[in-house]
Amino acid sequence: MTEAMPGTREEPGEGQKGQKPAEPVVVIERLVKDFGKLRAVNNLDMTIYTGETFGLIGPNGSGKTTLIRMLVGLLRPTGGTIRIMNERMPSARVAPHIGYMTQLSALYLDLTAKENMQFFCNIYGVHGKEQSRRISEMLERVELADRANDVVGNFSGGMRQRLSLACALVHNPRLALLDEPTVGVDPELRRSFWDYFAQLNKEGVTIIVSTHQLDEASRCSRLGLMRLGTWLAQDSPQALLRQSGKENMEDAYLHFADRQEALS
Amino acid sequence: MSFARTMALANRIIHQLLRDRRTLALIFLVPIAVMTLLYFVITSTSSTPTLALVRPTGEGSDRINTLIDNLLPNKVKTINIKADQVDATLNNGDADAAIIFPPGFAQQVFSGQNPTVQIKLEGSDPSVASAMSDLTKGFTRQLGVALAVLKAQQSQGQGQGQSQGGQAAPVSLGGPLPFTVGDPQYLHGGPQYTFTDSLAPVFIGVFSFFFVFLLTSVAFLRERSQGTIERVMVSPLKRTELVIGYIFGFASFALIQSLVVLLFVVFALQVHYSGNLALVFLVSALLTVGSVNLGIFLSTFAHNEFQIIQFIPLVFGVQVFLSGIFWPIAQLPAVLRPISYILPLTYANDALRGVMLKNESFGDISGQLTALLVFALAMIVLSSLTMRRQVA
Repeated sequence: MTEAMPGTREEPGEGQKGQKPAEPVVVIERLVKDFGKLRAVNNLDMTIYTGETFGLIGPNGSGKTTLIRMLVGLLRPTGGTIRIMNERMPSARVAPHIGYMTQLSALYLDLTAKENMQFFCNIYGVHGKEQSRRISEMLERVELADRANDVVGNFSGGMRQRLSLACALVHNPRLALLDEPTVGVDPELRRSFWDYFAQLNKEGVTIIVSTHQLDEASRCSRLGLMRLGTWLAQDSPQALLRQSGKENMEDAYLHFADRQEALS
Repeated sequence: MSFARTMALANRIIHQLLRDRRTLALIFLVPIAVMTLLYFVITSTSSTPTLALVRPTGEGSDRINTLIDNLLPNKVKTINIKADQVDATLNNGDADAAIIFPPGFAQQVFSGQNPTVQIKLEGSDPSVASAMSDLTKGFTRQLGVALAVLKAQQSQGQGQGQSQGGQAAPVSLGGPLPFTVGDPQYLHGGPQYTFTDSLAPVFIGVFSFFFVFLLTSVAFLRERSQGTIERVMVSPLKRTELVIGYIFGFASFALIQSLVVLLFVVFALQVHYSGNLALVFLVSALLTVGSVNLGIFLSTFAHNEFQIIQFIPLVFGVQVFLSGIFWPIAQLPAVLRPISYILPLTYANDALRGVMLKNESFGDISGQLTALLVFALAMIVLSSLTMRRQVA
């Protein structure tokens, strides 16, 4: 496999070969976002398939959050197109199928954990017994079942992060966009989160996740390494390591960044 | 639009407010404390009242009208009207009181028939009504004495010619006057109404507006600063559902607050009240809808709670001074009056006073209700338009 170049489109890497999902869930083409004179996202192409976990890797200011915010419809692109589940974004038909976890915990601090989840269930149309079942299941999953009736304002940062993830996934979305989901979460629970993401993938849920934790990158199906609003490379973690000739993702990232510098 | 989703939002807001006991205490106790203070502390302000005169007409009235002009106090502005214009003049606010001299007044005075002069007070501002009652009584008393002197001069002139050089015989101030002054009639209210009675209706509107504005702007600011607005905007909840959910959530508290304040001022402070409670609620509800959306709109321009506080003088201070709460708009400097007419509290105050003091009907306050509706709709449009900026 050749090295991925900035802005190139890559299909799932070799790690996914043999079980390549057929259907693209997210397709972006020539995506651009300007904030005044600053180009935050520069001519990005990307296709993500059903059941993948796609990791966005890059330092602060590389455009990860801007890309996610455009994907969920919070920001309008300056140029290019976004299609999610065959709908051009922003689309009201897609909204019920998206789960979004922001960098901030984005919870109502004066409500209990359960009340927060009930609110998000209600606006996503999850009612009755299904609501109770989903809330119990998600609270178990993030190990907050015993704190269900506690006010979130009294939670630690890590607990809020866990609840935030639960709220993003409580309505069983087909596509989850998770911005730094494991910040402040202890290593054991982080591993549990990634196990859960893998289980969701098997159930057909597609996940786009941004992270600073380069050790987590190996758990993704594919990675998009970002710098200054462009792709440094897109491929599976194993392929990226092999292409860079490095042993860890941090060194691999720096290799691709140096190469971009040299080319420019 | 999904009613379930909208109500989910409203329920969430109610839950949050119930959990925030300090805010609950604020919205219920502060109005009561302020109303109590008002009850004990308020003193009337000075202004230039207007007196309408239905002047004496017919034979001999010239001399009496000259006397009237000489005796009228300088601190009052006078206008001349006809007998059938009295109620309309008072109701329109063109005069605060009227003195009505009956037809043939001069002839009756000089023929000793003791006619009756009637005083009529507008009455919706009890402090003005009280001042005008004193003023008109004093004036008619002075006129009565002057006419008594004139009559004495006339009778002496007739009996003794000019032998005493026109010197009038002493007239006893306690003696009978040549005309009777009827007890003042009130177009609205009555002598039992106090200044607090005229402020109570206004403050029901003020509290609704102010606290709802404060709560909404801070709540929306928190939605933004805590990131929850992003989650909500990504969800299937539509912008209209978000705005209406906020309106339902906060309006429910505002209406309960109006009820609590109303019951407190009527039963605890025993202010006088004559009007339709449903209309008071309608005005409060319209004002609240505007206030919720003004809060959402202005919160776009604030980055923290302290910045919200900075909007208070702008939103609240200006309206307290210019919406006719303490000073009638007609008495404001001409340059400020146009501002008064774009303030929602101007119309709410007018409508609430109209309903509670003058027992005005839905039709009577339809103009004010329309103005409040226009304000509410304009604020909904503005808050919806800036909703996107809340997350960008």
